[in-house]
This record gives sequence, structure tokens and C-alpha cells, in this order.
Amino acid sequence: MITMEEEIWDYIDGNSSPQQALSVQAKIASDPAYGSLYEELLAINDQMNELELEEPSMSFTRNVMEQVKLEIAPVSLKTKVDTRIIYSIAAFFICFILAILGYVLSNSTFDFTDIKFNMGFHMEHIDFGKYVTPTSIKIFLFVDLLLALAFVDSYLRRRRA
Amino acid sequence: MQHKQSDIDLITEVLSGNTSVYSELVKRHQRFVFTLAMRFSKNREDAEEIAQDCFIKAYRALGTYKQTAKFSTWLYTITYTTSMSFLRKKRVDVQSIDEADSIIQLENHTSDFNADIVEKKSGYVYLNQAIALLSADDASIITLFYQGEQSLEEIGKALKMESNTVKVKLHRARIRLKEKLQYLLKDEVKELL
Repeated sequence: MITMEEEIWDYIDGNSSPQQALSVQAKIASDPAYGSLYEELLAINDQMNELELEEPSMSFTRNVMEQVKLEIAPVSLKTKVDTRIIYSIAAFFICFILAILGYVLSNSTFDFTDIKFNMGFHMEHIDFGKYVTPTSIKIFLFVDLLLALAFVDSYLRRRRA
Repeated sequence: MQHKQSDIDLITEVLSGNTSVYSELVKRHQRFVFTLAMRFSKNREDAEEIAQDCFIKAYRALGTYKQTAKFSTWLYTITYTTSMSFLRKKRVDVQSIDEADSIIQLENHTSDFNADIVEKKSGYVYLNQAIALLSADDASIITLFYQGEQSLEEIGKALKMESNTVKVKLHRARIRLKEKLQYLLKDEVKELL
């Protein structure tokens, strides 16, 4: 059930149907109490529409722009995510999985007569010593250090902002 | 005559690297963002902090702005959520409708004329006082509707509500506003409005 006040507000906002609007107009003309309430609500509405916005300090824009300068320039998300990078990463992982699968299959023995499928894969066949050298560990740690510094830098910038 | 750039034009410029034009967007929307923040914080210092935070957040997320809604609506969503977080952080008690014992004076330009009885009696001062007595939710809906010039649908987008819910909330907020005005003005409502 719509209240009298709600009906008038709908009329003032222009949200009432043509029939409702006609009904409200008739009530305003015939019912003094209804008309008085309408005048009151209309006055509030007019005052609200004329109410001025608050003004921040004079240095507001300058303060915002000073903080903006410390931020990384925003870029459209469309250009930010380069599909070529995504495809390169996907290609790398597909090649990696295929290489492992190829290695496993080449070292497996198939015996279809007894319907046996022996997927023998021995980690000891891979010589990790060839790849894990003191130099490669140093490179790995150096990259980690760079990443950590970049993370700390962005974190401190955000906190300062 | 110089053609005034739209918000979208300015955003496109910022995204293409000309970040200094962001100041134009700030100038355009700062008054409303600040007013909305005032509805939550009830004091100028905190409102200024919230408003600055909103513009920085908007700048960081500018790349994600999809342009399906008006920039102002998107910005007001950020303002609303930032203000709500501020309230939670500061644990500011949001005044309820029954809590009309203390009148919080808005520290705006109008309150500078408190000594002047004529100014004090003006409808705008009382309206600001009445809005300050409303809960943050009521005050923000009223501010978005009247001062933000947002439609019910746009307010719904900003506050993540259905437009019908916004309509009901706006109606209730206006009833409360009228009650607050009656409380403040006693029998002078009709004379002063």
C-alpha cells in the first residue's frame, strides 16, 4: 500500500504514471491537507536541489596530483595483458610437458602380448648435477633478490601514498 | 571556442600516458566526492583524506574502468566503499534516527556564519544540519540523488543495489530528513523552507 507521502514524492520525482499524476493533481486541488503536504515536500525538494556542494581545501588537486606522480601510470587492461606473452608461457609449458612425456615413453617398455604396460621412469637417469651448479644457484638467488626488492619498493610506495 | 573534453576523452589521454590531465578529472569531481565523504566522516579533515584516497584508488584502477557506466557513477562506487571502510576503521558511530539529542555541526562554509542569526536561520543551514543527523547510508543516498544528479539506476550501480531498493531507501531517507527538519525547526518548517 503506497502512502500519501510516497505518492507525492513519486509525483515530484516524475516517477508516477499519467493516471497517478492526474489523481495527485486532483487531490492537491481538492484536499487542503494533501495540498499542504505537497507544498512542504516540494519546498524540501527544491531546497535539496539548490543545496551547494562542499568545497575541499585549495590544495586538494595539487595534493592528489603529488601522490599520483608516485604511482605507476595506469594502462588500459587490454594493452596491459599482451596475448603474445600468454601464448609464449602456454607454449613453454606445453613443450615442457611434451618433453617429459616423450622421455617417459622412450624409457618405457610395452608388452601387448600380456597386456602389460610398464611405465618405468627413473629419476636417477637424469643428471641434475649438470644443471644445478654454483653459478646457476647464484643467478637464481640474484633474480629472487631483485624480485624481492621490486616488491618491497612497490609496497613502500603504496604505504606512503 | 575551446571544446570541453568529456570524462572519457580525459581517461583515454591518461591511459595513453598523459597522466597530468588527471588533474582535470579531479577538479571536475572533487566537490562531490568530498561532499559524499563528509556525509560519512562528519568532519573536513577526514573527508579530505577519504576524498584523496578515492582519487588515488580511481587512478590506480583507471585501466579497469569499462566505460559501461558513467565515470562519476564508477567514482562514487569507490567513494562509497572507501568511506564505508573508513567508518569501519575509525569505528565511528553512525547516528540512528532516534538519536537526535546532539546536533553535529557541519564544518562547512555555512557554519562560519554561526554568529549571524539570520544566516543561521536559513533553510540551507538547517538542511545541512538535518542531513548530518541522518545515518551515513541515508545521507549518501540523498546526496547521490540530489547533489550527485544520479538516477535511481545509477545509484543502484554505485551502491550495488536494485533500483527499486534504492527507491524505497530514498523514500525512507526523505521521511527521516523531514523528521529531522521538523525536530530542528519546530513550528518554523513552512516559514523557513
